[in-house]
Amino acid sequence: MTAAPELSVVDIDEIRRVMEDYFERGWTDGLPVMPVTESILAEFLGQTAREPDEVLLAMPHLNRACTVRLAAINAAMAGCRPEYFPVVLAAWSALKDENYVTRGIWQSTTGTAPMLLVNGPVREQIGLNSKGNVFGSGFRANATIGRAIRLTALNAFGLRPGELDQATQGNPAKYTACIAENEEDSPWPSFHVEHGFNADDSTVTALTMRSVVHIEARHTIVPEQLAADLAGTIARTGALIHETISACIALGPEHAHLLARAGWSKDDLRRFVFEHAVNTREALVAAGKDAVSGKTRWRLSSGHADAVPDSNPDSDVVRVLGSEQAVQIVVAGAHNAGVSSVIETFGPRGGAPAIAAVESLSAR
Amino acid sequence: MLERAGVPAVSICTDAFVIPARAMADVLGHPGFEFVTIPHPIASLAPAEIETAVQRVVADVVRILTEA
Repeated sequence: MTAAPELSVVDIDEIRRVMEDYFERGWTDGLPVMPVTESILAEFLGQTAREPDEVLLAMPHLNRACTVRLAAINAAMAGCRPEYFPVVLAAWSALKDENYVTRGIWQSTTGTAPMLLVNGPVREQIGLNSKGNVFGSGFRANATIGRAIRLTALNAFGLRPGELDQATQGNPAKYTACIAENEEDSPWPSFHVEHGFNADDSTVTALTMRSVVHIEARHTIVPEQLAADLAGTIARTGALIHETISACIALGPEHAHLLARAGWSKDDLRRFVFEHAVNTREALVAAGKDAVSGKTRWRLSSGHADAVPDSNPDSDVVRVLGSEQAVQIVVAGAHNAGVSSVIETFGPRGGAPAIAAVESLSAR
Repeated sequence: MLERAGVPAVSICTDAFVIPARAMADVLGHPGFEFVTIPHPIASLAPAEIETAVQRVVADVVRILTEA
């Protein structure tokens, strides 16, 4: 006789009761969350040298703040493993540096959400997906790290829909959005190295964003044609709230290699996109966005009472990017087909991106 | 903010934002803070329609300013 395998015995009714209790308390995003005990919380807090009461990000206009403890509770509820927690902490640092969240952007009618970009060895260490389905489902680290931020927004800051979150439609990233760069399949220095970090540093970049726009370009091997397709996507008039915008191009590896084979660097692509992400004056007139408001600098029709000319009123071709630095470039996805995306960011329209280092576990 | 600086003020919001407006007043320590509402939306109204919406709430604005 063989011994029966040892299985842990649980009371499923009790687990179900706890899950339902979390729903009833309004502590979820609509999906089930992991129950958290003091001992589970201690495992998360053990991943950082920071004090549990340290404030990670404050929203003074709400009299509320996210502490290390609150971030840990929500990371555990989101389904993170404790070893993901340093990445969550770095995400909060990057979001604070980006300085949009602290000014109420998560409550805005626009409906933005945080997209996180992870670089460096931590991707491999915790199993972050950077390849096929990089924006999709199926990877615990991606799914739960992004969700940890959003659950904290709901539970620690109280930004619930219809209460303190007035998003008109929101966007799917309000559940979770965390990608890793496919550094291995990139022909160029990775994103964090480009911005001054070492290759063996791990980093999180915060990209407050409105949408991820898909680009299907299997038709060409001419770099200028591909880059024009990317630039045309960035330039769409619907994205133009302000006079100019920012964007992050998530290049599929095939597109990245197409450009690199033709001798293009990231800066070459950036320069081309800056110059070609344009609308004709006629197209702006047709969309009623050919001037800006003298009060808010939002785009509107030149016929509007608040209208003043935009920065280049005499030009028939109007750029949507204020500088080359307003477009960031990462490589993500599988080496499968000619597919890329534009992440329509709501971030700095020129300055450096908000990147925070993941505190090394061994350095504790 | 203006009232904290000593300037009498009245907040006006559209009826779509009543719940968040009350929630903001609560978190800032002013539960029951009185404000004026007008029908939503305003961004897509013509100037004359805005004028009409404002005329309807002038009396409320004056009342809150003088009674608060």
